[in-house]
Amino acid sequence: MSITLSRRSVLSGGAAALSLAAFGGGPAWAQSARLRFLWWGSQERADRTFKAIEAYKGVASDVSITGEFAGWSDYWPRLATQVAGRNAPDLIQMDYRYIFEYARRGALKPLDDYLDKSLNIADFGQMNIDSGRVDGKLYGVNLGVNSSIVLYDEAAWEKAGIEPPKPGTTWEEFAEKGAALSAKKTKPGFYASADASGVEPALENWLRQQGKALFTADGALGFEPADAGKWFAMWAEMRKSGACVPADVQALDQLNIETNPLTTGKAATAFAHSNQYIGYQKLNKSRLGVSSYPKVSAESPSGHYLKPSMLISVANGSAHADAAVAFANFLVANPTGVEILGVERGVPASESMRNGLAPKLNDLDSVMVKYIADITPGVGALPPPPPPGAGELAFALKRVAEEVGFGRATPEAGGEKLVREAQTILKRG
Amino acid sequence: MTVHPTVWVDEARPAAAPRRGALRRMLARNAPGYLFLAPWLIGFFGLTLGPALVSLYLSFTNYDLLRAPDWVGAANYVRIATDDPKFAAAMRVTFIYVVLSVPLKLVFALAVAMAFNRGIRGLTVYRAIFYLPSLLGGSVAIAVLWRQLFASDGLVNMLLWKAFGIEGPSWVSNPDYSLYTLVVLSIWQFGSPMIIFLAGLRQIPTDMYEAAEIDGAGKARQFFKITLPLLTPVVFFNAVIQTIEAFKAFTPAFIISEGTGGPINSTLFYTLYLYQEAFGFFRMGYAAALAWILLVIIALFTAFSFLSARYWVHYDD
Amino acid sequence: MTDATVTAAPPSRGRRSRTRSLLIHGALIAASIAMLYPILWMVSGSVRPQDELFGTTSLIPSSVDFGSYLRGWMGLQVSFGQFFWNSLVISVLATIGNVLGCSLAAFAFARLRFGGRNFWFALMLGTLMLPYHVVLIPQYILFLELGWVNTPLPLIVPKYLATDAFFIFLMVQFFRGIPRELDEAAVMDGCGPFRIYFRIMLPLSLPVLATAAIFSFIWTWDDFFGPLIYLNDINTYTVQLGLRSFVDSTGTSDWSALFAMSNLSLVPVFLFFLFFQRLLIEGIATTGMKR
Repeated sequence: MSITLSRRSVLSGGAAALSLAAFGGGPAWAQSARLRFLWWGSQERADRTFKAIEAYKGVASDVSITGEFAGWSDYWPRLATQVAGRNAPDLIQMDYRYIFEYARRGALKPLDDYLDKSLNIADFGQMNIDSGRVDGKLYGVNLGVNSSIVLYDEAAWEKAGIEPPKPGTTWEEFAEKGAALSAKKTKPGFYASADASGVEPALENWLRQQGKALFTADGALGFEPADAGKWFAMWAEMRKSGACVPADVQALDQLNIETNPLTTGKAATAFAHSNQYIGYQKLNKSRLGVSSYPKVSAESPSGHYLKPSMLISVANGSAHADAAVAFANFLVANPTGVEILGVERGVPASESMRNGLAPKLNDLDSVMVKYIADITPGVGALPPPPPPGAGELAFALKRVAEEVGFGRATPEAGGEKLVREAQTILKRG
Repeated sequence: MTVHPTVWVDEARPAAAPRRGALRRMLARNAPGYLFLAPWLIGFFGLTLGPALVSLYLSFTNYDLLRAPDWVGAANYVRIATDDPKFAAAMRVTFIYVVLSVPLKLVFALAVAMAFNRGIRGLTVYRAIFYLPSLLGGSVAIAVLWRQLFASDGLVNMLLWKAFGIEGPSWVSNPDYSLYTLVVLSIWQFGSPMIIFLAGLRQIPTDMYEAAEIDGAGKARQFFKITLPLLTPVVFFNAVIQTIEAFKAFTPAFIISEGTGGPINSTLFYTLYLYQEAFGFFRMGYAAALAWILLVIIALFTAFSFLSARYWVHYDD
Repeated sequence: MTDATVTAAPPSRGRRSRTRSLLIHGALIAASIAMLYPILWMVSGSVRPQDELFGTTSLIPSSVDFGSYLRGWMGLQVSFGQFFWNSLVISVLATIGNVLGCSLAAFAFARLRFGGRNFWFALMLGTLMLPYHVVLIPQYILFLELGWVNTPLPLIVPKYLATDAFFIFLMVQFFRGIPRELDEAAVMDGCGPFRIYFRIMLPLSLPVLATAAIFSFIWTWDDFFGPLIYLNDINTYTVQLGLRSFVDSTGTSDWSALFAMSNLSLVPVFLFFLFFQRLLIEGIATTGMKR
């Protein structure tokens, strides 16, 4: 296969050289570029992105951009196939989890050389720039700021006469109030909260509040069996008291919006990402309130950090990397581009852009922007980069959490099992 | 064509071979067959064989999709055989699925096809309705629907409660039952084998039944003496194909568990595991090794079916 | 609904047969409801408010709004009309290819004698057994080399080359059921293999050809993985690709529009099925063929 590939690159390289020679290699030829941009998302995002592409013609008339898109679960096999076939799109929408996989394998182009030249993201703030870095180099530009969020059904809490979670609520209080809400039995089979014991960002937040992490800076596991055991035990307790949904309800949750117990009317609270707020609201009848995550103790840090909801990257080997970076810059640092995209991909990282956008936002959008602004002062540092193979941990966590939930393992045994499996995963890389 | 015309036709008795021009004879004998086979041969060598061999090669490498593959010998196979609990889980799930879904689906499809093969008013409408679930394929809507039907407060439990006063579990999300809801899904989409059975039933000449009726044979006797024997090639086809398809089943688990194979690996179909390894965790080499192991297993099953076919499948040749 | 006259329906024998037919119809109608429920649910899902989609099994929406159909149809840059046309072209061409290519190969396997027949047959079956996810990338590179990526060719041309072994095997089983005396008689009359194929095999195997046509059309129509990999430009998207881009499980999705377009996408396949299933019932039983 590698033979085929190199032959192809030789061929296309040869063809390019030939055409350059034939036309004298004029600069006008070198500048006009056809780019491909691949992203995931629904048609709302497609609409906005195509509109931005259209508007970009007014900025750079010699660059034409073809948009390609797919739903989330279709996106990754499609991208992987194109990259493997050396037919990668010039511009790639990247996910915070996958950017490490792609950057470390040389599929993305480092963008450090463009900083402050054609890529003007200085007012993103250090954290929002660094969240596009992998092993010290910039591989992605933040397309929207994101963080973990608690969403709750305002009416359900109100009806039960119990105060909903708010920033600063401790896990202990959350469990108590939750049990109280469920005990009111406002409707059959309804609980205060989804069960987040198998949700990786929730565990991460809980660990960070205690000064730990999923992974350490040198790529080892950042927590002990006892930590994971305590985490599982806390949720087992809530399951017992009725504060969170039983295991067979939680197992229906595929960790997306439409299957979350909040959306399916089984729970009054969900643990989600801030950019999903609008999606959740659309599928829920009652108004949703937002809060940061509960805390281990009143003094502990919030555990939150700002991560990109998605990034834009340039393919390594793109023939038009300069033009691609310029378009990326248009999306995040040009008022026209930013206004077209709005907050559909998340809150703009650039402060000036965010301020310019603020008056044009609707109520739902504003809630999301305000949430990010509210938690920003209390956020901690970015976690260390995940080691190779880290992506598999989320699967292992969900499975072990289910084993504990269904009573097939005690919380302590679950904690040991999770750590054992995580270590195997890391060793394999 | 000047040679004896029957040379190329397949006959039960061997054709008497005339002793002249061995090469020419061989050509004349083989040419029509290969001519008809030509499109398939071109497709096989041009499109299918190459990628298949590449995947075989990849199964001996570490290949992460993005970088060049790295030769590791039999390491992937060794790991699968000795150190992969998920492989064992996936095997178990897949075998249960095959053993349950294939016979049930076939019996159901044959029963419905038999019912449809008689003069019933409105047959076209019924047949179309019964095929509808199969039209849906692996649509996203199925995933949503299945969760609603088989959740704890779903339609199924509602019916159970009303009819028998039984409070059912959450079938689709309980690791003890979730696999069986996928078996039900497979049976519910019985349209393809049903249509094939129908086409097969249509090929049975009606005069055979007329003759049997005159001889005083009852319906049951007619079924076992005429229908079933003449249908065996189609039964055989459906059994082989459904078994292969069930071993390779991917879409139902993928859409219903959103690719996780959960809860607790209870719906981790073999190909779903393979897909996770390939595209979720960037281990295409390992996935290729998994694929070739599956191929060998399916091939063994199929070979066994073909050997057994001698004893129960009746062809008209 | 002319079926009832095709098969030899037993003549009515008074009350007993009437109760029996009542029972049969009762059972069939009950089963039909089980088969139809999901479709009805999807129809009701397409017109009900989005916020009551995921918490209920009821078929009756609290309010009805057909706006989702318009939203869905015009939802993307390119209207769904274009997607339907693309799907139709690919499905029709693929169907013709499958029926042609596979029937040629099946005739060879079922009726002709040549060296290595069993060997090729085994290899042919073997191609059914390899999960396609692992041949995806080598195949993609092959089609990229041919310059076929971003055209519908990878979805069509292979069908003419009979790469779908399912249909070959299917046809072989049916061809072998056609009385051999017929081709022997034709050979005596001096017919070559091509005339036997065209004059005897194809006309006598209409049920299986119709079956193959139905399946290839529906499966090509329903396929999304092939189009996902090979069709990049939105103008070339098929209905299934269009449908799947309504749903982004990580963000905001228009579920009503998804259900609306899902329902519409069923219409062509359903019509195709209704039309071709007529051919299923003609065939040897009605051609007056006696042995």
